[in-house]
Amino acid sequence: MIPRSVRYLLSGISWPVYILLYTPLALVAYYSFAPAPNQMGHSLHAYGVLFHDAEVLTALQRSLLLAFFSATISTMLGTLLGYGLCRFRNRRAKGVLANIPSLIIYTPIIMPSLVFGISELIFFNFVHTYTGLLAAGLQTMIIAHITFQVPYVTLTVFARLAGLDPYLFDASHDLYADGIKSFIHLIIPVVQPAIIGGFLLGITLSIDDFTISFFTAGPGSVTLPIYIYSAIARKGITPEVNAIGTLMIGSIIALALIHFFITRHRERGSQFAARGNIT
Amino acid sequence: MSAAKTEVEYEAGRQRLRLLSTAGPGLGWIVLFLLVPSAVLLGIAFFSADDYGAPVLPLSVQPFQQVAGFSLLGWDSGNIVIFLRSLQQAGIATLVSAVLSYPLVFFILSRPASIRPLLLLFIVLPSWTNQVVRTYAWLELLGPDAPVTWIAHHLGIVPPYLGLAPGSFAVTTGLAYNYLPYMIVPLYASAEKLDWTLVEAGRDLYASGVKLFWHTVFPQTVPGLLSGVIFVAIPAFGDYIVPQLLGGDKALMIGSLIANQFTETPDWPYGAALTIIMLVLTGLGLIGFRILTKKIGGGEEAAI
Repeated sequence: MIPRSVRYLLSGISWPVYILLYTPLALVAYYSFAPAPNQMGHSLHAYGVLFHDAEVLTALQRSLLLAFFSATISTMLGTLLGYGLCRFRNRRAKGVLANIPSLIIYTPIIMPSLVFGISELIFFNFVHTYTGLLAAGLQTMIIAHITFQVPYVTLTVFARLAGLDPYLFDASHDLYADGIKSFIHLIIPVVQPAIIGGFLLGITLSIDDFTISFFTAGPGSVTLPIYIYSAIARKGITPEVNAIGTLMIGSIIALALIHFFITRHRERGSQFAARGNIT
Repeated sequence: MSAAKTEVEYEAGRQRLRLLSTAGPGLGWIVLFLLVPSAVLLGIAFFSADDYGAPVLPLSVQPFQQVAGFSLLGWDSGNIVIFLRSLQQAGIATLVSAVLSYPLVFFILSRPASIRPLLLLFIVLPSWTNQVVRTYAWLELLGPDAPVTWIAHHLGIVPPYLGLAPGSFAVTTGLAYNYLPYMIVPLYASAEKLDWTLVEAGRDLYASGVKLFWHTVFPQTVPGLLSGVIFVAIPAFGDYIVPQLLGGDKALMIGSLIANQFTETPDWPYGAALTIIMLVLTGLGLIGFRILTKKIGGGEEAAI
């Protein structure tokens, strides 16, 4: 379809772009092996410092807690929400009122993260001033992270459910499964890949985020990205900062590749099974 | 008759109860923790600021006068320059990512179907790494001692001892790098569905090269391109971390200006008014874009 000469041109432009996409990340890894800032040579010095730095280790622990708790709760909320919208919404309803759920779901996605973060900062500040609850810290960060993850989980689950045969629900109803039973025995297993996908997406979004974390964090809730940001502001880019960066880049790439190959493997398996059924 | 009707009503009520119990918690969460807070933020813009920058009565339009550049010292063009600079940075970043996206998307499509998902994944992967890490990574490449800067010195583009970062160039690069996947993914989705028979027809009519692309391929990818423009331009316009890390003092953008009103030199009403103006400009941009889209035609997918 694409002539050969154009193919060469496309390759000639695209491979350099691919390389450019990974050059900055590779440089972070490269400089993490420097013995000291702006010094040549290789050593694992920075990593050694890192693993004995209590501040870094607590920040890492907080980041993982934040990602895990926010993704767990947002997966629960988002799965229920996606299920409810797919099954119980009156599709004949028209007008502004019927669109309100969609509007609410898309707001966290389209709102610039700076506006998101500052809104939360002010809101938590007011709530704390007047009620004494929700002091800025890990709890407010978890709440904010749940808020931006819920829509993504919802859309993932909704897409999976919308692709299902609606008669499945009738069938489970005919077999005397009530709402909760059919949710546990039919919906959860069928939507499981979407739920796992949504959970991993939530983790990724949580680890990716800086802006919203920055504005909802309190003095005692420094997470890894916030630690890196303030370390750069204080003393520039050190091999230790690069070492943290390298570990973060490495783990997210590994996680993504593992998820990619597992789901692809499973898809191939199910395709094979489907073909087997037909013949 | 009436019994049947109550049964229908009863069922409708149960349906509503089911919807409420499943969708309620999630929707309620977003309303409570995002819609209410942003309403509070927007409301603050109409208050006066006390000595610590916190909002106090009486209501006032002074924050908006500050946004327009009026202060006790008279009028200052600073804010307008910052708004224009943000617009320019977002515009260039969008253009760069659009121009790069076309060859990349058709490169991926020219490869065997089995490896396309992997090629697409490698485009998206960098954007999944942490915002701070992938942004400061560019300092390693463009900073004062970096190899690219050394080449730029020898070409006479930048004076010695100064890097390409921090500065405007670094901000544009950082924005384009951050948001490139947001352009490629929708463009890929629309290019994947391309009707190649049209291209064949064009070739039969002796069209070739740029003309063939412009008349047969490009119109079919416009919906994807337009979605991409929205996904890149809006977040790039109000971005915070990129100008903060790569911009320095001379490349201040609207995002940093807003953030400063809540962190370094607090003035909440002023910051809230800046936010309103930023959102209004974004909204106007979207509306203008929709009108433009309808004129070009085929902008159905651009609607979010």
